[in-house]
Amino acid sequence: MLRQVYILSVTLLKFVVKLIKKMKKKQAYFGLPEEVKFCKKCVISNQRPSSTIEFKNEKGEKKKVINFNDDGICSACVYNEEKEKRISWEDREEKLKKLLSQFRSTDGSYDVIVPGSGGKDSAFTAHVLKYKYGMNPLTVTWSPHLYTDIGWKNMQEWMHTGGLDNILYTPNGILHKEMTKNAFHNLLHPFQPFIVGQRIIGPAMAKKFGVKLVMYGENQAEYGNAIEENTNPIMNMDFFSSDDEMNMKFGGVSMKEYIETGKYSKDDFAPYIAPEKKDLIKAGVEVHYLGYYLRWDPQECYYYSVENTGFQANPVRTEGTYSKYSSIDDKIDPFHYFTTLIKFGIGRCTYDAAQEVRNDKITREEAAYLVKKYDTEFPEIYFQEFLNYIDSSEDEFWETVNKHRSPHIWKEVNGEWKLRHNVSLTGTDDKN
Amino acid sequence: MKIVVIDYGIGNVKSIINSFEKQNIKAILSRDKQVILEADGLILPGVGAFSHGMNNLNKYGLVPIIKEYVKTEKPLLGICLGMQMLFERSEEFLNTEGIGLIKGSVIKLPIESSNKIKLPHISWNEIIPKKILWSNTILDDIKVNSNMYFVHTFVGNPENDKDILSITKYHGVEFCSSIKKNNIYGCQFHPEKSAETGLYIISNFIKICRKIN
Amino acid sequence: MNKIRIIARLDIKNDYVIKGIHLEGLRKVGNPNEMAIRYYNQGVDEIIFMDAVAAYYDRNSLSEIIEMTCKDVFVPITVGGGIRKIEDIQTALNAGADKTAINTAAVRNPNFIKEASEIFGSQCIVASIDAKKIANNKWEVYVDNGREPTGKDVLEWAKEVESLGAGEIMITSIDKEGTKRGYDLELNKLISELVSIPIISSGGAGSKEHISDVIKNTNIDAVSIASVFHYNIETVDSLKEYLINEKKIQIRL
Repeated sequence: MLRQVYILSVTLLKFVVKLIKKMKKKQAYFGLPEEVKFCKKCVISNQRPSSTIEFKNEKGEKKKVINFNDDGICSACVYNEEKEKRISWEDREEKLKKLLSQFRSTDGSYDVIVPGSGGKDSAFTAHVLKYKYGMNPLTVTWSPHLYTDIGWKNMQEWMHTGGLDNILYTPNGILHKEMTKNAFHNLLHPFQPFIVGQRIIGPAMAKKFGVKLVMYGENQAEYGNAIEENTNPIMNMDFFSSDDEMNMKFGGVSMKEYIETGKYSKDDFAPYIAPEKKDLIKAGVEVHYLGYYLRWDPQECYYYSVENTGFQANPVRTEGTYSKYSSIDDKIDPFHYFTTLIKFGIGRCTYDAAQEVRNDKITREEAAYLVKKYDTEFPEIYFQEFLNYIDSSEDEFWETVNKHRSPHIWKEVNGEWKLRHNVSLTGTDDKN
Repeated sequence: MKIVVIDYGIGNVKSIINSFEKQNIKAILSRDKQVILEADGLILPGVGAFSHGMNNLNKYGLVPIIKEYVKTEKPLLGICLGMQMLFERSEEFLNTEGIGLIKGSVIKLPIESSNKIKLPHISWNEIIPKKILWSNTILDDIKVNSNMYFVHTFVGNPENDKDILSITKYHGVEFCSSIKKNNIYGCQFHPEKSAETGLYIISNFIKICRKIN
Repeated sequence: MNKIRIIARLDIKNDYVIKGIHLEGLRKVGNPNEMAIRYYNQGVDEIIFMDAVAAYYDRNSLSEIIEMTCKDVFVPITVGGGIRKIEDIQTALNAGADKTAINTAAVRNPNFIKEASEIFGSQCIVASIDAKKIANNKWEVYVDNGREPTGKDVLEWAKEVESLGAGEIMITSIDKEGTKRGYDLELNKLISELVSIPIISSGGAGSKEHISDVIKNTNIDAVSIASVFHYNIETVDSLKEYLINEKKIQIRL
């Protein structure tokens, strides 16, 4: 009898210990891969999310991430190698010319929509389509939340010096701010509503103006979406069209729920409602990437835009990175990158540096050094403006931020948050 | 052919050595008495302050060695500060004593600096003969008005006109840009930094060393 | 009249000469040693090597390039980028450089210029100033290769470095640099009228006319040229010929 009790209690004890151990195990948030790995060629980590259909993005969703092959190399680097070796850019340019000749207008009307902000990439895209390939582009800008001075200046120069037409579309600020606030607190993804509108504006304007061709600059496969997506020049329609409007989510809250508060009506959502797939197909709208047809090099876009569209780099270094010319038009932008640092352990510098390693501007060692130096820098300059924009206090900001730190990425050490793993292998859990 | 460049911790000796290397001569950097006395040709380099240069020369006991070398009548070439230190004294800061092989003092360029007249004198400037004919000297075959590279604020001012090998004008003010006294030569400019003309002067020096030995 | 010096400026990253715009961008344009020799053979008066990424990587690493170049190039060589302490200057001079250009370290500690010029002599010390226009006739000093503003006024700083013992000033306009749209004439005019040490003008030349403009309209003593040479817009000799014969400017031939 005593022996049976003994065996039972030991078994029970073992079970309890196992349970405790299981509970203590670092559960990765967002369904991210448990083990943090860094690409052997560039500096990106396997936590980097792929592009998602943003208006389906809701709280607790499992994220699709960049793929690493068996050699520990990320898909962006793999694609890059292909780009170098196997693609014939002469053939691709021929394809571009053929494509454009199908859409080129003969009556002076616009024949291609180029969405963009006048940053180096869209500046290059629009200018080269007009002045090299003889198209008649209409550039359309989905307004940044809060224009920086340099961003506004570059946008204006795009028109005045670059010689292009533009429509600037600014959504209702009251709704946009509320969505952004929700997106920040529910998803730690303040840019989510912005991205919804940004993806839609190209096809939406195309439909409005009776233009069939929409041309973006770079393809996200450059940065790690599935390679298969880059063998196709056409953007997947799911990104910008929906068959179920009322359930489109903004900041994790559905359109239906916003309307139910009584503050908004369906009218307010016009900028965010994706055109219906069948309407786009009927109108013959196609969305292409110029990066499929021309060998894409963001640094060369910088030189081109300085020389042709009056682009100017920021006079100061952008916080969180070493660069001065990438993505400098929105004061909220630094918080987009800061939140990716919190959620995925990689910040703005990692993105910039990884791209420059692939394009042979810097070595992996240099990239790792830069990441160590800048990746975790807090964007102080526009912090107060951001807090005002999302109508939150500093305490609320940090509360939300800390809630989203996945335990498999972050460790609290003496009241400070530290990365468990970084590309220089000096994280708290890295074996030195 | 043993060319020795005096090592006293001052001067861009690499370029001097390279300019000899260009003529297939391996110049040696040394402050050893034996090595210096056995040289076929001796170079005294230098940039910067006169007092600093003399301090270092004295620290290594080089002044008597240089004087002894000169007695052998083998060629010596002082460059820039090296030329200045051949004089008796300098007015830079306090009156500092030089090696004293050339009669005269080192003085500041007698010119008022302003935003039109810059000091230090950093430029390419022309050399012109004074009394000495250039043939059979280190300036043999050099075209009159050739441009040499100058960088200095002070100049050596020989008491004896006969010691002046070339003069140069800076904003109308004439100064001595190179000297010759028997086999003692000095260039205020830098032959090792004066492109092909400068290299030619180096090769002239080598020729003179060869003739003597 | 003083002869104006024509200087080729080579910005270096690792093994390459690079050329940016507004001190940004790392486009490769050639091999440092080859290019330096080429310009020397064409008759350039001086060469400047700037380590373009010293600020990012907290290092300076041009010694090898300088050593190699000194074997074949017999005109003055200036080295800059990441010169932070006395030892760095010594290393550069030992490698064969004649002058060192100092920017960030001097702004953070102006006494560094005083110390360096006392040890090595003023003629070795070039104060490198990167200027960004902030208002009419007003420029701000930037450090870390044009990345960090300092709140310092360029003209005031120029006077200060002169009094600290710098032998020359190299003034680079960040606004014009790499644009090939001409030098910042206002900036160069004002600074060259303010100090009595030689001024090297840097940033913006895109044509031989730009170079003649800055010489004729200011008191500068030397021009630093990058894009015009690196992109083969002019060779050193074609430029000199134009300046001497057509513009009657005094230059070493």
